Amino acid sequence: MAIKRYHYARDVEEALSLLLAYEGRGALVAGGVDVARGLPGEIEGLIDITAAGLSGISREGGRLVVGATATLEGIRTSREVKAYMGGFLSEVMGHVATLSLRNMATLGGAVVSAHPWADIPTALIALGAEAVWRNEERTERAPVEELYARPFRAIFRRAVLTEIRLPAWDGAFAFEKLSRNAGDIALVNCACGLGLDAEGKIAWARVAVGATPYRAERLVAVEELLAGEVPSEALWEEAGHRAAAEARVGDDMRASAEWRRAVIPVIVRRALERAGRAVMGDR
Amino acid sequence: MMKIYFELNGEPVYTEIKPGEMLLDLLRRLGMKSVKEGCRTGECGACTVLLDGKPIRSCLTFAAKAKGHRITTLEGLGTPEDPHPLQEAFLEAGAVQCGFCTPGMILVAYHLLSHNPDPSPDEVRAAISGNLCRCTGYVKIVDAVLTAARWKREGKWRKER
Ligand SMILES: Cc1cc2nc3c(=O)[nH]c(=O)nc-3n(C[C@H](O)[C@H](O)[C@H](O)COP(=O)(O)OP(=O)(O)OC[C@H]3O[C@@H](n4cnc5c(N)ncnc54)[C@H](O)[C@@H]3O)c2cc1C
Ligand code: FES
Ligand code: FES
Repeated sequence: MAIKRYHYARDVEEALSLLLAYEGRGALVAGGVDVARGLPGEIEGLIDITAAGLSGISREGGRLVVGATATLEGIRTSREVKAYMGGFLSEVMGHVATLSLRNMATLGGAVVSAHPWADIPTALIALGAEAVWRNEERTERAPVEELYARPFRAIFRRAVLTEIRLPAWDGAFAFEKLSRNAGDIALVNCACGLGLDAEGKIAWARVAVGATPYRAERLVAVEELLAGEVPSEALWEEAGHRAAAEARVGDDMRASAEWRRAVIPVIVRRALERAGRAVMGDR
Repeated sequence: MMKIYFELNGEPVYTEIKPGEMLLDLLRRLGMKSVKEGCRTGECGACTVLLDGKPIRSCLTFAAKAKGHRITTLEGLGTPEDPHPLQEAFLEAGAVQCGFCTPGMILVAYHLLSHNPDPSPDEVRAAISGNLCRCTGYVKIVDAVLTAARWKREGKWRKER
Protein backbone atom coordinates (compact mmCIF):
# COMPACT_ATOMS: atom_id res chain seq x y z
CA MET A 1 0.00 0.00 0.00
CA ALA A 2 1.28 3.40 -0.92
CA ILE A 3 -0.68 5.30 1.70
CA LYS A 4 0.96 8.64 2.38
CA ARG A 5 -1.49 10.22 4.81
CA TYR A 6 -4.23 9.32 7.24
CA HIS A 7 -6.68 12.13 7.99
CA TYR A 8 -9.22 12.36 10.78
CA ALA A 9 -12.16 14.33 9.37
CA ARG A 10 -14.01 16.38 11.99
CA ASP A 11 -17.19 16.84 9.98
CA VAL A 12 -18.79 15.98 6.65
CA GLU A 13 -17.53 19.16 4.96
CA GLU A 14 -13.94 18.36 5.83
CA ALA A 15 -14.33 14.72 4.73
CA LEU A 16 -15.84 15.77 1.43
CA SER A 17 -13.32 18.47 0.67
CA LEU A 18 -10.44 16.10 1.42
CA LEU A 19 -12.00 13.40 -0.73
CA LEU A 20 -12.47 15.79 -3.65
CA ALA A 21 -8.99 17.24 -3.25
CA TYR A 22 -7.45 13.79 -3.69
CA GLU A 23 -9.15 13.50 -7.09
CA GLY A 24 -9.61 9.74 -6.97
CA ARG A 25 -6.47 9.04 -4.93
CA GLY A 26 -8.25 9.27 -1.58
CA ALA A 27 -10.64 6.87 0.16
CA LEU A 28 -13.08 7.31 3.00
CA VAL A 29 -12.53 4.98 5.94
CA ALA A 30 -15.39 4.19 8.30
CA GLY A 31 -14.79 0.92 10.16
CA GLY A 32 -12.17 0.24 7.53
CA VAL A 33 -12.69 -3.52 7.43
CA ASP A 34 -13.32 -3.52 3.68
CA VAL A 35 -10.81 -0.77 2.93
CA ALA A 36 -8.20 -2.84 4.76
CA ARG A 37 -8.98 -5.92 2.73
CA GLY A 38 -8.82 -4.41 -0.71
CA LEU A 39 -7.26 -1.05 -1.21
CA PRO A 40 -6.73 -0.02 -4.82
CA GLY A 41 -3.08 0.74 -5.55
CA GLU A 42 -3.71 4.34 -6.56
CA ILE A 43 -4.98 5.38 -3.12
CA GLU A 44 -2.62 7.76 -1.29
CA GLY A 45 -4.82 9.31 1.36
CA LEU A 46 -7.20 7.75 3.85
CA ILE A 47 -9.92 9.91 5.35
CA ASP A 48 -11.33 8.55 8.59
CA ILE A 49 -14.92 9.66 9.09
CA THR A 50 -15.71 7.94 12.39
CA ALA A 51 -15.35 11.24 14.29
CA ALA A 52 -17.25 13.29 11.72
CA GLY A 53 -20.48 13.30 13.70
CA LEU A 54 -22.27 10.66 11.62
CA SER A 55 -22.82 7.98 14.26
CA GLY A 56 -26.20 8.99 15.68
CA ILE A 57 -29.26 6.77 15.81
CA SER A 58 -32.65 8.41 16.32
CA ARG A 59 -36.38 7.99 15.85
CA GLU A 60 -38.40 10.51 13.89
CA GLY A 61 -42.00 9.57 14.44
CA GLY A 62 -42.19 5.92 13.44
CA ARG A 63 -39.11 6.30 11.27
CA LEU A 64 -35.58 5.27 12.21
CA VAL A 65 -32.59 7.36 11.15
CA VAL A 66 -29.17 5.72 11.39
CA GLY A 67 -25.96 7.68 10.83
CA ALA A 68 -23.56 6.26 8.26
CA THR A 69 -20.82 5.54 10.80
CA ALA A 70 -23.03 3.90 13.44
CA THR A 71 -21.35 0.53 14.07
CA LEU A 72 -23.25 -2.67 13.40
CA GLU A 73 -22.98 -3.65 17.08
CA GLY A 74 -24.09 -0.17 18.14
CA ILE A 75 -27.15 -0.66 15.93
CA ARG A 76 -27.78 -4.18 17.19
CA THR A 77 -27.85 -3.03 20.82
CA SER A 78 -29.53 0.37 20.35
CA ARG A 79 -32.78 0.95 22.21
CA GLU A 80 -34.15 2.98 19.28
CA VAL A 81 -33.41 0.13 16.89
CA LYS A 82 -35.00 -2.44 19.18
CA ALA A 83 -38.12 -0.28 19.31
CA TYR A 84 -38.31 -0.02 15.50
CA MET A 85 -40.38 -2.69 13.69
CA GLY A 86 -40.23 -5.13 16.58
CA GLY A 87 -36.43 -5.11 16.64
CA PHE A 88 -36.15 -6.44 13.07
CA LEU A 89 -32.93 -4.58 12.23
CA SER A 90 -31.37 -5.58 15.52
CA GLU A 91 -32.14 -9.21 14.65
CA VAL A 92 -30.53 -8.79 11.23
CA MET A 93 -27.35 -7.36 12.77
CA GLY A 94 -27.17 -10.42 15.01
CA HIS A 95 -26.68 -12.47 11.84
CA VAL A 96 -23.80 -10.32 10.58
CA ALA A 97 -20.31 -11.70 11.16
CA THR A 98 -19.21 -11.65 14.80
CA LEU A 99 -18.97 -9.17 17.65
CA SER A 100 -15.36 -8.17 17.05
CA LEU A 101 -16.16 -7.31 13.44
CA ARG A 102 -19.45 -5.57 14.28
CA ASN A 103 -17.62 -3.37 16.78
CA MET A 104 -15.75 -1.81 13.84
CA ALA A 105 -17.92 -2.22 10.74
CA THR A 106 -20.48 0.49 10.01
CA LEU A 107 -23.84 0.64 8.27
CA GLY A 108 -22.57 3.18 5.75
CA GLY A 109 -19.63 0.93 4.90
CA ALA A 110 -22.02 -1.98 4.37
CA VAL A 111 -24.26 0.10 2.09
CA VAL A 112 -21.37 1.41 -0.02
CA SER A 113 -19.51 -1.91 -0.22
CA ALA A 114 -22.78 -3.63 -1.09
CA HIS A 115 -21.29 -7.12 -1.07
CA PRO A 116 -23.67 -9.33 -3.05
CA TRP A 117 -23.36 -12.02 -0.36
CA ALA A 118 -24.19 -9.64 2.47
CA ASP A 119 -27.30 -9.60 4.65
CA ILE A 120 -27.64 -5.88 5.25
CA PRO A 121 -28.58 -4.88 1.66
CA THR A 122 -31.30 -7.56 1.64
CA ALA A 123 -32.84 -6.15 4.81
CA LEU A 124 -32.52 -2.52 3.70
CA ILE A 125 -34.07 -3.19 0.30
CA ALA A 126 -37.02 -5.01 1.87
CA LEU A 127 -37.48 -2.15 4.33
CA GLY A 128 -37.43 0.47 1.59
CA ALA A 129 -34.48 2.22 3.23
CA GLU A 130 -33.41 5.54 1.83
CA ALA A 131 -29.77 6.64 1.56
CA VAL A 132 -28.81 10.27 2.05
CA TRP A 133 -25.46 11.57 0.80
CA ARG A 134 -23.63 14.80 0.31
CA ASN A 135 -21.71 15.65 -2.84
CA GLU A 136 -20.02 18.81 -4.05
CA GLU A 137 -23.28 20.48 -5.08
CA ARG A 138 -25.99 19.29 -2.72
CA THR A 139 -27.53 16.70 -0.44
CA GLU A 140 -29.09 13.86 -2.41
CA ARG A 141 -31.30 10.98 -1.44
CA ALA A 142 -32.57 7.80 -3.04
CA PRO A 143 -33.95 4.45 -1.98
CA VAL A 144 -31.06 2.01 -1.48
CA GLU A 145 -32.69 -0.26 -4.07
CA GLU A 146 -32.58 2.51 -6.65
CA LEU A 147 -29.05 3.51 -5.69
CA TYR A 148 -27.85 0.01 -6.56
CA ALA A 149 -29.33 0.37 -10.02
CA ARG A 150 -27.07 3.40 -10.54
CA PRO A 151 -23.24 3.54 -10.77
CA PHE A 152 -23.12 3.93 -6.99
CA ARG A 153 -19.42 3.18 -6.62
CA ALA A 154 -18.64 6.16 -8.83
CA ILE A 155 -21.08 8.31 -6.83
CA PHE A 156 -19.30 7.53 -3.56
CA ARG A 157 -15.90 8.33 -4.96
CA ARG A 158 -17.11 11.94 -4.84
CA ALA A 159 -19.68 11.91 -2.04
CA VAL A 160 -20.13 11.09 1.62
CA LEU A 161 -23.05 8.91 2.63
CA THR A 162 -24.44 10.59 5.74
CA GLU A 163 -27.44 8.57 6.88
CA ILE A 164 -29.87 5.79 6.17
CA ARG A 165 -33.56 6.51 6.76
CA LEU A 166 -35.94 3.67 7.44
CA PRO A 167 -39.66 4.24 6.92
CA ALA A 168 -42.38 3.30 9.37
CA TRP A 169 -44.46 0.34 8.21
CA ASP A 170 -47.75 -0.78 9.69
CA GLY A 171 -46.86 -4.46 9.87
CA ALA A 172 -43.89 -6.69 10.60
CA PHE A 173 -40.70 -7.99 8.99
CA ALA A 174 -38.67 -11.17 9.42
CA PHE A 175 -35.21 -12.15 8.17
CA GLU A 176 -33.84 -15.60 7.33
CA LYS A 177 -30.29 -16.60 6.49
CA LEU A 178 -28.81 -19.95 5.60
CA SER A 179 -25.09 -20.35 6.23
CA ARG A 180 -22.65 -23.11 7.07
CA ASN A 181 -22.09 -21.82 10.59
CA ALA A 182 -23.10 -18.90 12.79
CA GLY A 183 -20.19 -16.67 11.78
CA ASP A 184 -20.17 -17.40 8.08
CA ILE A 185 -21.66 -15.38 5.26
CA ALA A 186 -24.98 -16.35 3.70
CA LEU A 187 -25.50 -19.13 1.18
CA VAL A 188 -28.77 -17.32 0.55
CA ASN A 189 -30.88 -14.92 2.63
CA CYS A 190 -34.25 -13.20 2.54
CA ALA A 191 -36.25 -10.49 4.26
CA CYS A 192 -40.05 -10.38 4.12
CA GLY A 193 -42.58 -7.89 5.45
CA LEU A 194 -46.36 -7.94 5.69
CA GLY A 195 -49.19 -5.64 6.72
CA LEU A 196 -52.87 -6.45 7.06
CA ASP A 197 -55.95 -4.40 6.22
CA ALA A 198 -59.06 -4.06 8.39
CA GLU A 199 -60.49 -7.33 7.05
CA GLY A 200 -57.35 -9.28 7.84
CA LYS A 201 -56.18 -9.47 4.23
CA ILE A 202 -52.63 -8.67 3.23
CA ALA A 203 -52.50 -4.93 2.55
CA TRP A 204 -48.86 -4.86 1.47
CA ALA A 205 -45.97 -7.30 1.20
CA ARG A 206 -42.24 -6.82 0.72
CA VAL A 207 -40.02 -9.70 -0.31
CA ALA A 208 -36.26 -9.45 -0.99
CA VAL A 209 -33.88 -12.33 -1.61
CA GLY A 210 -30.09 -11.93 -1.58
CA ALA A 211 -26.76 -13.76 -1.74
CA THR A 212 -28.14 -15.76 -4.64
CA PRO A 213 -25.09 -15.16 -5.12
CA TYR A 214 -26.12 -11.84 -6.64
CA ARG A 215 -26.96 -8.70 -4.71
CA ALA A 216 -30.41 -8.65 -3.14
CA GLU A 217 -33.42 -7.77 -5.21
CA ARG A 218 -37.08 -7.35 -4.50
CA LEU A 219 -39.38 -9.95 -5.97
CA VAL A 220 -42.30 -7.76 -6.97
CA ALA A 221 -44.23 -10.65 -8.52
CA VAL A 222 -44.24 -12.41 -5.14
CA GLU A 223 -45.34 -9.22 -3.39
CA GLU A 224 -48.23 -8.94 -5.85
CA LEU A 225 -49.16 -12.56 -5.36
CA LEU A 226 -49.48 -11.96 -1.60
CA ALA A 227 -51.35 -8.64 -1.70
CA GLY A 228 -55.09 -8.94 -1.14
CA GLU A 229 -54.89 -12.54 0.06
CA VAL A 230 -55.78 -13.98 3.45
CA PRO A 231 -52.69 -15.23 5.32
CA SER A 232 -52.40 -19.03 5.39
CA GLU A 233 -49.78 -21.77 5.42
CA ALA A 234 -50.71 -22.60 1.83
CA LEU A 235 -50.18 -18.98 0.78
CA TRP A 236 -46.68 -18.85 2.31
CA GLU A 237 -45.88 -22.10 0.54
CA GLU A 238 -47.09 -20.77 -2.80
CA ALA A 239 -45.17 -17.50 -2.31
CA GLY A 240 -42.00 -19.45 -1.51
CA HIS A 241 -42.23 -21.43 -4.75
CA ARG A 242 -42.98 -18.30 -6.73
CA ALA A 243 -39.92 -16.64 -5.15
CA ALA A 244 -37.71 -19.53 -6.25
CA ALA A 245 -39.05 -19.22 -9.78
CA GLU A 246 -38.57 -15.43 -9.87
CA ALA A 247 -35.18 -15.06 -8.18
CA ARG A 248 -32.04 -14.82 -10.27
CA VAL A 249 -29.78 -17.56 -8.94
CA GLY A 250 -26.28 -18.69 -9.83
CA ASP A 251 -23.39 -20.95 -8.83
CA ASP A 252 -20.43 -19.92 -6.72
CA MET A 253 -17.89 -21.70 -4.53
CA ARG A 254 -20.44 -21.92 -1.71
CA ALA A 255 -23.54 -23.32 -3.36
CA SER A 256 -25.02 -24.22 -6.72
CA ALA A 257 -27.88 -22.42 -8.44
CA GLU A 258 -29.88 -25.62 -8.16
CA TRP A 259 -29.39 -25.82 -4.40
CA ARG A 260 -30.29 -22.16 -4.01
CA ARG A 261 -33.47 -22.64 -5.99
CA ALA A 262 -34.36 -25.60 -3.81
CA VAL A 263 -33.96 -23.72 -0.51
CA ILE A 264 -35.46 -20.34 -1.43
CA PRO A 265 -39.03 -21.66 -0.93
CA VAL A 266 -38.05 -22.79 2.56
CA ILE A 267 -36.52 -19.52 3.76
CA VAL A 268 -39.22 -17.37 2.18
CA ARG A 269 -41.92 -19.49 3.76
CA ARG A 270 -40.20 -19.29 7.16
CA ALA A 271 -39.83 -15.52 6.94
CA LEU A 272 -43.44 -15.02 5.84
CA GLU A 273 -44.66 -17.32 8.60
CA ARG A 274 -42.79 -15.35 11.24
CA ALA A 275 -43.79 -11.97 9.83
CA GLY A 276 -47.38 -13.22 9.57
CA ARG A 277 -47.41 -14.40 13.17
CA ALA A 278 -45.99 -11.06 14.30
CA VAL A 279 -48.62 -8.95 12.45
CA MET A 280 -51.47 -11.15 13.56
CA GLY A 281 -50.15 -10.99 17.11
CA ASP A 282 -50.42 -7.23 16.82
CA ARG A 283 -54.17 -7.38 16.36
CA MET B 1 5.18 8.34 8.78
CA MET B 2 2.92 9.84 11.44
CA LYS B 3 3.00 9.94 15.22
CA ILE B 4 0.16 8.72 17.39
CA TYR B 5 -0.47 8.56 21.10
CA PHE B 6 -2.47 5.79 22.70
CA GLU B 7 -2.65 3.66 25.80
CA LEU B 8 -1.33 0.10 25.51
CA ASN B 9 -2.10 -2.20 28.42
CA GLY B 10 -2.34 0.76 30.76
CA GLU B 11 0.92 2.37 29.63
CA PRO B 12 1.14 5.49 27.48
CA VAL B 13 2.66 4.91 24.04
CA TYR B 14 3.81 7.63 21.69
CA THR B 15 5.01 6.05 18.49
CA GLU B 16 5.57 6.43 14.78
CA ILE B 17 3.35 4.48 12.43
CA LYS B 18 2.94 4.17 8.71
CA PRO B 19 -0.38 5.78 7.75
CA GLY B 20 -1.65 2.63 6.02
CA GLU B 21 -0.42 0.05 8.50
CA MET B 22 -2.62 -2.31 10.44
CA LEU B 23 -2.92 -2.39 14.21
CA LEU B 24 -1.87 -6.06 14.14
CA ASP B 25 1.53 -5.14 12.69
CA LEU B 26 2.02 -2.17 15.00
CA LEU B 27 1.27 -4.21 18.12
CA ARG B 28 3.61 -7.03 17.12
CA ARG B 29 6.32 -4.48 16.34
CA LEU B 30 5.81 -3.09 19.84
CA GLY B 31 6.50 -6.59 21.19
CA MET B 32 2.91 -7.75 21.74
CA LYS B 33 3.51 -11.17 20.22
CA SER B 34 0.30 -12.59 21.69
CA VAL B 35 -1.46 -10.84 18.81
CA LYS B 36 -1.47 -13.50 16.09
CA GLU B 37 -1.94 -13.32 12.38
CA GLY B 38 -4.17 -16.18 11.27
CA CYS B 39 -5.91 -15.04 8.13
CA ARG B 40 -5.69 -11.25 7.78
CA THR B 41 -9.20 -11.28 6.32
CA GLY B 42 -11.27 -11.01 9.49
CA GLU B 43 -12.34 -14.63 9.65
CA CYS B 44 -10.33 -16.32 12.42
CA GLY B 45 -10.14 -14.02 15.45
CA ALA B 46 -6.49 -14.84 16.26
CA CYS B 47 -5.65 -11.13 16.03
CA THR B 48 -8.35 -10.02 18.52
CA VAL B 49 -7.47 -7.15 20.86
CA LEU B 50 -9.65 -4.86 22.96
CA LEU B 51 -10.20 -1.25 21.93
CA ASP B 52 -11.66 0.70 24.84
CA GLY B 53 -12.59 -2.66 26.33
CA LYS B 54 -14.38 -4.02 23.24
CA PRO B 55 -13.04 -6.84 21.08
CA ILE B 56 -11.96 -5.89 17.57
CA ARG B 57 -9.95 -7.58 14.81
CA SER B 58 -6.56 -5.88 14.68
CA CYS B 59 -5.80 -7.30 11.21
CA LEU B 60 -8.57 -5.15 9.67
CA THR B 61 -8.11 -2.12 11.92
CA PHE B 62 -5.87 0.68 10.76
CA ALA B 63 -3.22 1.41 13.40
CA ALA B 64 -4.14 5.09 13.08
CA LYS B 65 -7.49 4.23 14.67
CA ALA B 66 -5.74 3.51 17.99
CA LYS B 67 -5.00 7.23 18.34
CA GLY B 68 -6.32 8.46 21.67
CA HIS B 69 -7.77 5.06 22.62
CA ARG B 70 -7.04 2.24 25.08
CA ILE B 71 -5.74 -0.98 23.55
CA THR B 72 -5.53 -4.18 25.58
CA THR B 73 -3.68 -7.29 24.47
CA LEU B 74 -3.25 -10.54 26.37
CA GLU B 75 0.03 -9.13 27.76
CA GLY B 76 -2.11 -6.61 29.62
CA LEU B 77 -4.09 -9.31 31.38
CA GLY B 78 -1.38 -11.52 32.80
CA THR B 79 2.22 -12.66 32.59
CA PRO B 80 3.80 -16.11 32.95
CA GLU B 81 4.80 -15.15 36.51
CA ASP B 82 1.43 -13.66 37.36
CA PRO B 83 -1.16 -15.22 35.07
CA HIS B 84 -4.71 -13.95 34.84
CA PRO B 85 -7.35 -16.34 36.26
CA LEU B 86 -8.61 -16.89 32.71
CA GLN B 87 -5.14 -18.04 31.71
CA GLU B 88 -5.00 -20.35 34.73
CA ALA B 89 -8.43 -21.74 33.89
CA PHE B 90 -7.37 -22.42 30.28
CA LEU B 91 -4.32 -24.33 31.52
CA GLU B 92 -6.28 -26.23 34.14
CA ALA B 93 -9.01 -27.25 31.67
CA GLY B 94 -6.52 -28.32 29.01
CA ALA B 95 -7.98 -25.69 26.69
CA VAL B 96 -4.62 -24.88 25.11
CA GLN B 97 -3.01 -27.08 22.49
CA CYS B 98 -0.94 -25.18 19.93
CA GLY B 99 -2.03 -21.96 21.61
CA PHE B 100 -2.43 -19.89 18.47
CA CYS B 101 -6.10 -19.10 19.10
CA THR B 102 -5.71 -18.74 22.88
CA PRO B 103 -4.97 -15.00 23.20
CA GLY B 104 -8.04 -14.13 21.12
CA MET B 105 -10.19 -16.65 22.98
CA ILE B 106 -9.14 -15.25 26.36
CA LEU B 107 -9.78 -11.65 25.31
CA VAL B 108 -13.31 -12.34 24.04
CA ALA B 109 -13.96 -14.39 27.21
CA TYR B 110 -12.62 -11.52 29.32
CA HIS B 111 -14.98 -9.14 27.56
CA LEU B 112 -17.91 -11.54 28.07
CA LEU B 113 -17.20 -11.95 31.79
CA SER B 114 -16.77 -8.21 32.25
CA HIS B 115 -20.47 -7.71 31.56
CA ASN B 116 -21.87 -11.19 32.24
CA PRO B 117 -20.15 -12.98 35.14
CA ASP B 118 -22.60 -15.91 35.00
CA PRO B 119 -22.86 -16.95 31.35
CA SER B 120 -24.62 -20.11 30.20
CA PRO B 121 -22.59 -22.55 28.09
CA ASP B 122 -24.51 -21.27 25.05
CA GLU B 123 -23.60 -17.68 25.88
CA VAL B 124 -19.94 -18.71 26.08
CA ARG B 125 -20.23 -20.50 22.73
CA ALA B 126 -21.82 -17.42 21.18
CA ALA B 127 -19.08 -15.19 22.58
CA ILE B 128 -16.26 -17.32 21.14
CA SER B 129 -18.09 -18.10 17.89
CA GLY B 130 -15.95 -15.67 15.91
CA ASN B 131 -12.70 -17.27 17.09
CA LEU B 132 -11.53 -20.37 15.30
CA CYS B 133 -9.59 -23.13 17.05
CA ARG B 134 -8.15 -25.85 14.84
CA CYS B 135 -6.96 -28.05 17.72
CA THR B 136 -9.25 -28.41 20.70
CA GLY B 137 -12.78 -28.88 19.41
CA TYR B 138 -13.91 -26.00 21.68
CA VAL B 139 -15.32 -28.15 24.50
CA LYS B 140 -12.42 -27.47 26.85
CA ILE B 141 -12.34 -23.81 25.93
CA VAL B 142 -15.98 -23.49 26.97
CA ASP B 143 -15.19 -25.41 30.19
CA ALA B 144 -12.28 -23.07 30.90
CA VAL B 145 -14.40 -19.94 30.48
CA LEU B 146 -17.13 -21.38 32.72
CA THR B 147 -14.51 -22.23 35.36
CA ALA B 148 -13.03 -18.74 35.23
CA ALA B 149 -16.54 -17.31 35.52
CA ARG B 150 -17.18 -19.39 38.62
CA TRP B 151 -13.89 -18.24 40.14
CA LYS B 152 -14.87 -14.65 39.40
CA ARG B 153 -18.25 -15.07 41.13
CA GLU B 154 -16.49 -16.71 44.09
CA GLY B 155 -14.25 -13.64 44.39
CA LYS B 156 -11.14 -15.58 43.39
CA TRP B 157 -10.03 -13.07 40.76
CA ARG B 158 -7.41 -11.50 43.01
CA LYS B 159 -7.38 -8.16 41.30
CA GLU B 160 -9.57 -6.80 38.56
CA ARG B 161 -7.30 -6.00 35.66
C1 LIG C 1 -15.02 -11.16 7.90
C2 LIG C 1 -16.24 -10.42 7.43
C3 LIG C 1 -17.48 -11.01 7.61
C4 LIG C 1 -18.64 -10.36 7.18
N1 LIG C 1 -19.83 -10.95 7.38
C5 LIG C 1 -20.98 -10.32 6.98
C6 LIG C 1 -22.25 -10.92 7.15
O1 LIG C 1 -22.37 -12.02 7.70
N2 LIG C 1 -23.34 -10.24 6.71
C7 LIG C 1 -23.25 -9.00 6.13
O2 LIG C 1 -24.27 -8.43 5.77
N3 LIG C 1 -22.06 -8.42 5.97
C8 LIG C 1 -20.93 -9.04 6.36
N4 LIG C 1 -19.72 -8.43 6.18
C9 LIG C 1 -19.68 -7.15 5.47
C10 LIG C 1 -19.65 -6.00 6.45
O3 LIG C 1 -20.96 -5.65 6.85
C11 LIG C 1 -19.00 -4.81 5.77
O4 LIG C 1 -17.73 -5.24 5.36
C12 LIG C 1 -18.83 -3.64 6.72
O5 LIG C 1 -20.09 -3.22 7.20
C13 LIG C 1 -18.10 -2.50 6.06
O6 LIG C 1 -18.15 -1.41 6.95
P1 LIG C 1 -16.87 -0.51 7.26
O7 LIG C 1 -17.36 0.62 8.07
O8 LIG C 1 -15.77 -1.32 7.84
O9 LIG C 1 -16.51 -0.08 5.78
P2 LIG C 1 -15.16 0.56 5.24
O10 LIG C 1 -14.18 -0.50 4.98
O11 LIG C 1 -14.74 1.70 6.09
O12 LIG C 1 -15.72 1.15 3.87
C14 LIG C 1 -16.22 0.31 2.85
C15 LIG C 1 -16.32 1.11 1.55
O13 LIG C 1 -17.28 2.13 1.68
C16 LIG C 1 -16.70 3.42 1.57
N5 LIG C 1 -17.38 4.19 2.61
C17 LIG C 1 -17.47 3.89 3.93
N6 LIG C 1 -18.26 4.79 4.57
C18 LIG C 1 -18.67 5.66 3.62
C19 LIG C 1 -19.52 6.81 3.66
N7 LIG C 1 -20.11 7.22 4.79
N8 LIG C 1 -19.73 7.49 2.50
C20 LIG C 1 -19.16 7.07 1.34
N9 LIG C 1 -18.36 5.99 1.25
C21 LIG C 1 -18.12 5.30 2.38
C22 LIG C 1 -15.23 3.22 1.77
O14 LIG C 1 -14.47 4.19 1.10
C23 LIG C 1 -15.04 1.85 1.17
O15 LIG C 1 -15.02 1.90 -0.22
C24 LIG C 1 -18.54 -9.07 6.59
C25 LIG C 1 -17.29 -8.47 6.43
C26 LIG C 1 -16.14 -9.13 6.84
C27 LIG C 1 -14.83 -8.44 6.68
S1 FES D 1 -5.90 -12.58 11.51
FE1 FES D 1 -7.46 -11.16 11.99
S2 FES D 1 -9.24 -12.34 11.95
FE2 FES D 1 -7.71 -13.75 11.27
S1 FES E 1 -5.20 -24.47 20.41
FE1 FES E 1 -4.47 -24.59 18.39
S2 FES E 1 -5.83 -23.31 17.32
FE2 FES E 1 -6.72 -23.40 19.25
